[in-house]
Amino acid sequence: MNDVLIVYSAEIMRRIKSRPFLIGLVVGLIFILFIVKAPAFLGGVLGNVGKRIVLAGDPRLTAQAKPLLAHDFTIRRVVTSTSAPAPAQLRAYRVSTVIALSRGANGALRIAVYSRNPGNVHTDTLRRDLLPLNLQLATSLHARRITGLLHIPVTVHSVGAKFASSTAQNAARGIAYTLIVFLYMLILINSQFVMSSVAEEKTSRISELLVASVDATALLAGKVLAAGTLALLLLAIWVGAAVTLGSPAGGAASASGASPFGLAGIFTGTIITPLVGVGFLVFFVLGFLQLSTMFAAMGALINRTEDLGSLSFPLVMPVIAAFFIAVTALAVPHAPWVVAASFIPLLAPFVMFARMAVSNVPVWQILLSVAINVAALWGIALLAGKLYRVGMLLYGRAPNFKQIWTVLRTN
Amino acid sequence: MLEVDHIRKEFGSVRAVRDISFAIQPGTTFGLLGPNGAGKTTTMRMILGIVETDGGRIAWQGKPVDGKMRRRCGYLPEERGLYAKMKVREQIHYFGRLHGLTEPKITQRTDAWIERLGLQDYALRPCSELSKGNQQKVQMACAAVHEPELLILDEPFSGLDPVNADMLLMVLSDLKARGATLVLSSHQMWQLEELCTSFCIIAGGATKTSGTLEQLRAAWPTRVIRVAPNSSAVCAVLGAVPGARSLGNAQSDGAVDYEVPAATELPPILRRLVEADAITRFEAIEPSLHDIYIRAIEETK
Repeated sequence: MNDVLIVYSAEIMRRIKSRPFLIGLVVGLIFILFIVKAPAFLGGVLGNVGKRIVLAGDPRLTAQAKPLLAHDFTIRRVVTSTSAPAPAQLRAYRVSTVIALSRGANGALRIAVYSRNPGNVHTDTLRRDLLPLNLQLATSLHARRITGLLHIPVTVHSVGAKFASSTAQNAARGIAYTLIVFLYMLILINSQFVMSSVAEEKTSRISELLVASVDATALLAGKVLAAGTLALLLLAIWVGAAVTLGSPAGGAASASGASPFGLAGIFTGTIITPLVGVGFLVFFVLGFLQLSTMFAAMGALINRTEDLGSLSFPLVMPVIAAFFIAVTALAVPHAPWVVAASFIPLLAPFVMFARMAVSNVPVWQILLSVAINVAALWGIALLAGKLYRVGMLLYGRAPNFKQIWTVLRTN
Repeated sequence: MLEVDHIRKEFGSVRAVRDISFAIQPGTTFGLLGPNGAGKTTTMRMILGIVETDGGRIAWQGKPVDGKMRRRCGYLPEERGLYAKMKVREQIHYFGRLHGLTEPKITQRTDAWIERLGLQDYALRPCSELSKGNQQKVQMACAAVHEPELLILDEPFSGLDPVNADMLLMVLSDLKARGATLVLSSHQMWQLEELCTSFCIIAGGATKTSGTLEQLRAAWPTRVIRVAPNSSAVCAVLGAVPGARSLGNAQSDGAVDYEVPAATELPPILRRLVEADAITRFEAIEPSLHDIYIRAIEETK
């Protein structure tokens, strides 16, 4: 145990001072800043493209249309001329779009849109906003009456569902999605770091000196645990930053379900419950340990740093698969194949967490998944430990899979 | 005492070590000799428990070499390196910790090794900035910072320039004087002959011969006698000795070498030579470690 602690503390110190860790921390924070602030920023910038308009047409028509359009468009000016504007005129109005209203032969509303960016014209929004006016012109009913008829109240009642409303469910999906992205980044980045750290020891030829000084299993355990601790530290910093940056706007966004990235809801205990929080940590630890031990074993087989990519690729594949299954699980958490995937080692850490975040997963399924994954971790650790012990002493060409199998069988 | 008793090791279909046995007295220096692929490195790894034996027994002071014991051992492998970005001082300190040293001893030992190896000016520099010779000094310090009871060095002189080789010899002599048991493998016979008190020659994964240099010489089947002048009378006397043969290597001082069976009594031969000619030189040449090694390896072929 003492050996593990010595390696663990040395690895922590080495990694905290290393450039990749600091770069990872900063890049992660920039990424979080982007995902927290981007929706508001992009909504403000891109959302307004095509929404600043000049309304043109008969004054009686434009007067009725103006309040209907005001929800979705910024009307900078109202004019009477419905003829096509010249580009210079649009620049003068400081808009890219002119919406001209007129009545057809049958008295129905006709809309002509003149735009410098036709691709950004929100035709569906226009139709939806001006539908009451069109109906009013056709039926002579009062506009308020028509609006009332068009707004049919819909009430959603929860039957055995985890969330009482679709808003809360969407918010949970958004938060769970963000956490799955964190899980993916942390597991993959840190596992690869463990691999490159082992490969560094191997390629620098210090590995034999190390395994002569300390038991290879303790060396491997110290490395993996140090990487896991730093991954949790990064997670805490990133989530803390996300909550700080997202609050109060993030909280509001979560509550409304408007943004998938609002993380303040994590700590309210309603959207991400304590059980889901614990589940995240447990499955993170399991997933991280499973993968990083495998990466470490692969790292021990490397003799040239150029081989890192080709040897890590087969291990990255299940993580990518797990990520996509988990994202699907957010939408269909009870699909049979999703349920099955939530027990399979390497996939389960992502998929079971996703299911837990958005649905009521039976406790026995959670416990069974944990048990299977703990058992799998034990098996992986035994095999990886063996491969690591032998690999650290193998020099020359990287062994092929047949040779790896021979090593596992005979040692 | 380190006892290595009929150990063997196979890697798949490759029999790296078939049957190796030797014993090393505490405080002595032991030379493990053999050609490339003879099983020296595997044997050293098995002594330290880095590789498990498939059979046989290894014991230090009567007990198996376990994790606790390994902390009292030091190892300088043939394939050796350093953490490139770690500073020299941190590196030696780290290996001291791995071997169970605690403060303040660890700092004292680290500083002492830095001073002993003349690394004061480099102590706070990353190892990647050091010359190869200085890196080898750091590696030596990492292997011996905890002042091990048993220090195993696999080809410690390989790649060293003469100055650093002398430095290493000095360090090893120092460790030997402090009572450490040293096990070395090397192809530099003269260095081993200078340092070691006993030897084991292995080939094809098996022990060929072992013992002190005197014991190895005593087991040598022949002796070489060098006689001057190289006259016909001298050659006639030597040629009449049962089992003798001329080595045909006339020396610059006019001496001639003859190989005779080890059991041959030399005084009667000397008497006959003096009677036959005016002898200016008569010398019995003991086989060198190099001669013993070459013969042992050739016998294997």
